[in-house]
Amino acid sequence: MRHPEHENFLEEDWLYEAITETYVPLISVFEGLVSDGIDFRITMTLSPTLISMLSDSLLQERYLKHINKLIELSQKEMERTRWQDSFRRLAEMYFNRFSHARDTFQKYSCNLVLAFKKFQDLGKVEIITCGATHGFFPLMDVCRDSVRAQVKVAADHYEGVFGRRPRGIWLPECGFCPGHDEILREAQIRYFFTDSHGLLHGTPRPKYGVFAPVYCKGTGVAAFGRDLESSKQVWSSIEGYPGDYNYREFYRDIGFDLEFDYIKPYIHPDGVRINTGIKYYRITGTGNNKEPYVSEWARDRASEHAGNFMFNRQKQANYLNDLMGKPPIIVSPYDAELFGHWWYEGPMWLDFLFRKVACDQNEIRMITPSEYLEENPRNQVITPSLSSWGYKGYSEMWLQGTNDWIYRHLHVASERMSELARSYAGAQGLLRRALNQALRELLLAQSSDWAFILGTGTHTSYAVRRTKDHLLRFNRIYEDIKSNNINENWLSDIEYKDNLFPNIDYQVHQ
Amino acid sequence: MKIFNRVKEKLKRIIPIKLGSLKTKKNKTFAAKPGASLPKDIPGFQETIAVNTKFSHPENTRPRSSMPQDLPSRYDQDRMILQVRDPRWLHTYWELRDQTIEGLKVKLGDDFYRAKKILRVYDVTNIIFNGFNANSFFDIQYNDFANSWYIDTAGPGRSWCVDLGLMLTDGRFITILRSNVVATPLDGPSWITDEEWMIPEDIFARLYGMGFGLGRSSPVGRAWQERMKQGLFSSGISSSPVRKEVKERSFWMKVDCELIVYGATQPDAKVTVQGQPINLRPDGTFTLRYYLPDSKQVIPVKAISADKLEERVITPIVTRETR
Repeated sequence: MRHPEHENFLEEDWLYEAITETYVPLISVFEGLVSDGIDFRITMTLSPTLISMLSDSLLQERYLKHINKLIELSQKEMERTRWQDSFRRLAEMYFNRFSHARDTFQKYSCNLVLAFKKFQDLGKVEIITCGATHGFFPLMDVCRDSVRAQVKVAADHYEGVFGRRPRGIWLPECGFCPGHDEILREAQIRYFFTDSHGLLHGTPRPKYGVFAPVYCKGTGVAAFGRDLESSKQVWSSIEGYPGDYNYREFYRDIGFDLEFDYIKPYIHPDGVRINTGIKYYRITGTGNNKEPYVSEWARDRASEHAGNFMFNRQKQANYLNDLMGKPPIIVSPYDAELFGHWWYEGPMWLDFLFRKVACDQNEIRMITPSEYLEENPRNQVITPSLSSWGYKGYSEMWLQGTNDWIYRHLHVASERMSELARSYAGAQGLLRRALNQALRELLLAQSSDWAFILGTGTHTSYAVRRTKDHLLRFNRIYEDIKSNNINENWLSDIEYKDNLFPNIDYQVHQ
Repeated sequence: MKIFNRVKEKLKRIIPIKLGSLKTKKNKTFAAKPGASLPKDIPGFQETIAVNTKFSHPENTRPRSSMPQDLPSRYDQDRMILQVRDPRWLHTYWELRDQTIEGLKVKLGDDFYRAKKILRVYDVTNIIFNGFNANSFFDIQYNDFANSWYIDTAGPGRSWCVDLGLMLTDGRFITILRSNVVATPLDGPSWITDEEWMIPEDIFARLYGMGFGLGRSSPVGRAWQERMKQGLFSSGISSSPVRKEVKERSFWMKVDCELIVYGATQPDAKVTVQGQPINLRPDGTFTLRYYLPDSKQVIPVKAISADKLEERVITPIVTRETR
């Protein structure tokens, strides 16, 4: 999602934060493990839009600018905090961290996708795909052509980047609707994930609960169910590890705390304070009084928590092994941005966990879904239940009073896209460009982020505008094509603005 | 049908209360018998489609300079779409073309104005619905301005179809639009087990509770409700699994101090502050900014000329004391 016309945009801020706080730290963890000869496995989704953003040279340039400014700010901070030793050390920590982020970014030619590809090629990381623009599939069920386009565009894009078909997919928001497995099978995708109830409420009953995958009836595509016990340990805001008092406090950022004129060059140009990523406090306790962060203490806690997580998985696996009469698989999916962005110590915790599992025990091991399926090809056949990991477990987050108006437009656009693909098969030249752009605009309009934002009630005007812009552009292209009146200048302009999936083929939408 | 009866039996056992309440609410007429005046289940539908594809995209003659700012309020279609929100609730939206309504007015005369606007919700579980063979149905009266509706089916694990229509004063129901068919998911474990993958009830119960992260002895019946209570759904894109700072009281104040030390010398001089070298701007000026904790700071600023022959030292002393 880029906005070439403006320098500062929400999603771009998110991208830069994710690079600095999540992706670079994870890459560093992987690098360390590989160089120390530690065997590990992790399955990661890199959504097609994230890959597109990470590979976009305009955004790469802007990220370099962004990280250089952060380095400059951290240098100023080292000077400003000279008389406060505990802060001065932290300013230095951020200076090192930001400099390291820039070095890592440049080491991979400013394209971090190459780093993930490297670890996938080494057999340590399995990268799976997602919906092309993160459309929420259950609410696209009345127009399965669009689900197919979301899957097909994503899988083809993946293949272009990684040189092979994706073996698995993270359905956007874990949203599964029975029947969509057929579309995955067409795209040669072997497995996906559901939330616990997707498997547990499937028909017939899954014999092993969520602790073994199932094959979808009629298609043989495998579904892995999420384990909530392990989720809870990491994720719960009450009992989860990230709430430990020694960990870094997310909500005290110098972007909000420091004097306005000083911080102004590093926040939003119109003066709106935003997170810079420099945060000096530890969670400390439940109140508002916050004490300075102490890296060593946090590190010790991360190590303890990794040990605790491993111990609990050993217990859980042993118990399940007795109950099931075969080794269970425990699937623990998390938002990538939990690690590093929300939970600063998350990547370090993962690092400890990988090392402990590899070196300190031999009861459990890490595995990717495709390795598991190769070793255990015989699995029960069921129809998993409609489900998602969104609020209340189904579609309500994306279908409520504040956002349900979008579907009457989205569904008509889907139908029109199918009509275009049918009526103009094998188009060439300008017509082909228009048809491809129509599909791009439709896919962008389908992103579940817009409905989600409308549902949460923050930044809603942005979400409304994005939904409308893409649909209006789609509608105009549709009308222009039907009336044989394509305006090339205008088309070129929106091709430049919405430039993702350069090799898209509109004919996948049928 | 056998399967269906088994389903019904199980349903009765699982949700006796819900099923009971359904019965009192719903019209129990099984095969819906529309009035004899209806030639098809959806009058005018075929014609509508033909008209649409022929005439909805006339030669475009409007100037192309500006983009519309708003989405069309309608697409000149007769259509009704049904979607599943969760095991219990459906959402439907519809669009009716003016000419469809006008046609009905002509056809029905005064009856049109006296008719009630009805959504008829059919339970079409395990059947191929032909308009007349629903397992059961219930009606919802909607108001004139609605073009969408949330429907409480209270029926997880069932299939549904909705007609939008008119209930005439003589009790005849006229279908105007018919939705697609959708299936609500179960809100508990399936009662169907698989012979090849049999599992004792008690072991399944334990695995079921564990899958929801509820330990080893949670009762099956409550596990899903418990899981809903825990939350633990995706944090999404704009919220955090990390707890937010609590504002203990709404009124608050913060005060802090920073110190700015600034000066100027020859641009080519070497300057140190508290022994640390600093960089000068091209014009020889400098500005330093420090967080000032409660303490006394002695800040010697020393400049040495480029030829190292001359030296100046100026030492501000600053004390901060917060009360």
